[in-house]
Amino acid sequence: MKELLLGKLDGNALPHEWFTIAGSISFILLVIITALIITRLKRWKWLWNDWLTSVDPKKIGIMYFFVSGFMLIRGGLDAIMLWLQQALSSGSSQGYLSADHYQQIFTAHGNIMVFFVAMGFIFGLINYIVPLQIGARDLASPFLNTLGFWLFVAGVVMVNMFFLFGGEYAATGWLAVAPLSGKEFSPGVGVDYWIWSLQISGIGTTLGAINFIMTILKMRAPGMTLWKMPMFTWGSLCSMIMAVTVFPLLTATLFLVFFDRYLGTHFFTTLGGGDPMMYTNLIWMWGHPEVYILMLPAFGVFSEVVSTFSRKAIASYTSNVLGMIGVSVLALSVWLHHFFTMGAGANVNAFFGVMTMIIAIPTSVLVFTWIATMYKGRIRFDTPMLWFLGFVVIFAIGGIAGVMLAVPPVDFQLHNSLFLVAHFHSMVIGGVLFGIFCAITYWFPKFTGLKLNERIGRYAFWCWMIGFCMSFIPMYILGMLGATRRLDHYDASTGWQPFFVLMLIGGIIIAIGVALQLAQILASFIQKNRLRDTTGDPWNGRTLEWATASPPQFYNFTVIPHITTRDAFWEKKHHKLPKPAYEDIHMPKNTAAGIYISIFAFLVGFGFVWEIIWLVAVSIIGIIVVFVVRGFNEHPEYTITAAEVQQLEETRARKDLAVSRPEKHDDTDEDMGLWQLIGIVFGFAKDVIRNKRWRKW
Amino acid sequence: MVTNHETAHMVDHEAEANDRVMFGFWVYLMTDLLMFAVLFAVYAVLHGKTLGGESGRELFSLPLALTGTLILLTSSFTCGIGMIAARGGKKNLTLLWFGVTFILGLAFLGLELYEFTELIHEGHTLRSNAFLSSFFVLVGTHGLHITSGLLWMAITLVYVIRRGLNSHLVRKLALLSLFWHFLDIVWIFIFTIVYLKAFV
Amino acid sequence: MSHPSRNTISKPSHEHGTMRSYVIGFVLSLVFTFIPYYLVVNRTISGNLLLATIIGIAVLQMIIQITFFLHLGRGPKPNWNLFFFIGTVGIILIVVGGSIMIINNLNYNMLPHDQTKKLTNDEGIYQIGGEKTGACQGQHDNHKVTIKNSQVSPLQTLASKCDTLTFINEDDEAREITFGTHPDHGSYAGEDELIVRKGRSKSITLSEAGSYQFHDHIKAEIAGFFTVTP
Repeated sequence: MKELLLGKLDGNALPHEWFTIAGSISFILLVIITALIITRLKRWKWLWNDWLTSVDPKKIGIMYFFVSGFMLIRGGLDAIMLWLQQALSSGSSQGYLSADHYQQIFTAHGNIMVFFVAMGFIFGLINYIVPLQIGARDLASPFLNTLGFWLFVAGVVMVNMFFLFGGEYAATGWLAVAPLSGKEFSPGVGVDYWIWSLQISGIGTTLGAINFIMTILKMRAPGMTLWKMPMFTWGSLCSMIMAVTVFPLLTATLFLVFFDRYLGTHFFTTLGGGDPMMYTNLIWMWGHPEVYILMLPAFGVFSEVVSTFSRKAIASYTSNVLGMIGVSVLALSVWLHHFFTMGAGANVNAFFGVMTMIIAIPTSVLVFTWIATMYKGRIRFDTPMLWFLGFVVIFAIGGIAGVMLAVPPVDFQLHNSLFLVAHFHSMVIGGVLFGIFCAITYWFPKFTGLKLNERIGRYAFWCWMIGFCMSFIPMYILGMLGATRRLDHYDASTGWQPFFVLMLIGGIIIAIGVALQLAQILASFIQKNRLRDTTGDPWNGRTLEWATASPPQFYNFTVIPHITTRDAFWEKKHHKLPKPAYEDIHMPKNTAAGIYISIFAFLVGFGFVWEIIWLVAVSIIGIIVVFVVRGFNEHPEYTITAAEVQQLEETRARKDLAVSRPEKHDDTDEDMGLWQLIGIVFGFAKDVIRNKRWRKW
Repeated sequence: MVTNHETAHMVDHEAEANDRVMFGFWVYLMTDLLMFAVLFAVYAVLHGKTLGGESGRELFSLPLALTGTLILLTSSFTCGIGMIAARGGKKNLTLLWFGVTFILGLAFLGLELYEFTELIHEGHTLRSNAFLSSFFVLVGTHGLHITSGLLWMAITLVYVIRRGLNSHLVRKLALLSLFWHFLDIVWIFIFTIVYLKAFV
Repeated sequence: MSHPSRNTISKPSHEHGTMRSYVIGFVLSLVFTFIPYYLVVNRTISGNLLLATIIGIAVLQMIIQITFFLHLGRGPKPNWNLFFFIGTVGIILIVVGGSIMIINNLNYNMLPHDQTKKLTNDEGIYQIGGEKTGACQGQHDNHKVTIKNSQVSPLQTLASKCDTLTFINEDDEAREITFGTHPDHGSYAGEDELIVRKGRSKSITLSEAGSYQFHDHIKAEIAGFFTVTP
């Protein structure tokens, strides 16, 4: 009876190791505090109606940023824990983590950073920026968009379930190589959490990608041909097309692993004729293009930023776009370089090695177009540009390391070493994460109506740069010296400890960088009068998103613009056009269907993890019911009449005018520095305590 | 004039939405096709791994597979005819042809279940060896798609009976027929690569 | 959806297909279902040729259904549906073809028993790690098997261990000599197939004693025997 009701679940599952208990308690406290604040401010209704059920891609974009930002801190803590263990655990000292903990932590770190930080930020950016850049009011299917987001959230919760709820996480590495991920070698629930976390968020990604493809290909403003699209939209289009080509491969492969574990099939097992190498083959068919899915939108961001801050159109738009297309096509034919050492013959290895090296060509084309754009440009070194320059340096180092690894005989030496780990961190941090930071600083005025504080932003950038070099250059060296990856203990005689200690210090400097980024946002809000952007175009931008107010109205454009050139907004600024008349606007209604489906999808996964079959059945029926109710709803849209639009626009204009009046403030002469921020925060705290202000709350 | 302009605006808006949805669904079908591609790749790699057990030549029945193929092909045809009726606004004809499609689909599913139960009774389960795992999962995934197609068809037809053939439901039927033709195309390859190839 | 006027820009009705297109598609699909079935059941052709034919017909049938049932390729330009379909077919070829290629090549450098055997034979490695490999040393007798006009002569060869056996192909097509009975693709002393081009010859060293069969994998009726005495 108990098994029928609860499956494998019992009291032993609850968190009982120190790091899961710590995670659990801190998370529960966070939830309680947040809930208290929301209740206190009477904001539950507002939260539900204005945000959670919203189908506005701008709001969904912001929600992606929140979740991914939170996960960045969560995954970053994992990284610090790993570095600390490595710095301590030399010779007779075993460090503070057991081997099993250590394995769970590096697996979780990898999954969180790739799926829930990088992917989340990229999707958030595309959500917010792409409709604005192509002159659309919304996405092709607002429902798919909210569904994709909430499935992503379900994945986030699932990956954290091992400490929120209980059990363990996979100790298999971020791709759960077979046959280690099979029931025989991983009997616990860790791999099951892994499967369902990736499965649910992966399906969300596929749906989201389909939606963006529909939007970009079918909803561009009149006159905007493909060859007039902004570069970020091009990068997103390439990335999303790659996502729909490879994410189904991941979904299918995960289902096969799931069948191996639950139904006893023999796809990737060692017994019964299964082929574990087939798993490696399939997972990398998805896994390699995945990094380019993250990279291409970042390339688009850099193209936009370089062009804006050099005050020049991008040099050779065509080569830039062809470079991105080239990267995405070639990325599909290089996956074997992840397993050169599996024993394939020279011909096969050579083919994939050569393909891998060829990818460097379109990538270099991109880098050269950026350099050519800067050449003779009037460059401004604002923080977005700093992130770009940092990217070029780190990406070049990582890229050269990558070309080295693409040579099979060299790979035989460096495979599975820290050199490899350093290489892909150079690409993913230097490329993707710096791209995301660059994009957030660049578009922050669009998101919030405020420019970010430049001074603290610069400190944060330098912390990241220095911290990165301190932690990953020693890692390259260690790899060359023979340190393998996923190392939780090493012999004292290797003499590696100083390098590992250096890496830990670098990691702490990066953590300070993250703290400074949070401080930067806080400081910007404190100085909001000084940093407010009322023009909608703070950087003297070139593309259409800057033609809207900051932040844009919920319908983006009052009147859909007609496009005649690339850099549409730049053109428009220099040729005053007559103001066309207002028209009716059709907007989608909010819906909670995405939330309900995601809850059920989560429960399906949860039911499978703990083998609670009735829960799975009920949840699948739930999903079908919500789909039917939503799918046969014939009125998912509403209309805003031209008169209402006019009224909304006038209200907005009055509001903008009111805040743009210069107010005399002591702090308006320059961006706040760090000490000033600390002073203000302490002053505030002192004021609260001394005057017992909490009574009033 | 104003109302005329507004109706035209609405019609345009709806035609664009239709075009977008059909395209989006097409892209979804392509992703589904890629999932099948993985299953085909797995079958291609593992179909020889019978571990001394019987191979497809001993287990499969060609006449049974052919019957299934013909049933599914016919249902794909009747589904197309039903779509012509739906676009012509003929409600009863639509219900008739889609009803026939539904019954044929059910027959196909029954045939597949019969084949599976026979195999399992003889002790050939998906746990036996890698060949049978890949066979059951490939063919079973197709069967699962057929099942969900049938469910979708039944629900849509109930709505057609209740609400009549409005543009929204015609679009649903168009998507459904796309899905159904697509499943037939996938089956051609299952028939060829799984069943016929076993006897080459 | 009746558009009496032909000059409307939006959605021409031929995009959706007519009764005629469905009937044509259905009949052609039936034909292309029965042809491969007939070919397989009656074994008019066999082997790789048959396999290639039925897969070719399946592709043909897919194109027919896509044209007549799904009406792909019609409708307004640019035709993104067609673009995505062609792209997907390309990816499928990469996924399936790539997997087959990679997995077949998987053990190339892993030297399982068969390949170790072949390598020791080819290189004449007499012992590895103090264990005899069974590889032959020195010169021994040579036996010839000639294939001419699809006939094998002599049908039976008697040899002693470490002799060599040479297949001479005097026909106008390549022979794929493999061991055991058709359709098994067995191996002998690490060799699993010898491709002998027209007018060429190939030899193996008879390092394992016993009675064996060999045959051409493409034309299974070309077959013979050899016996190796210790």
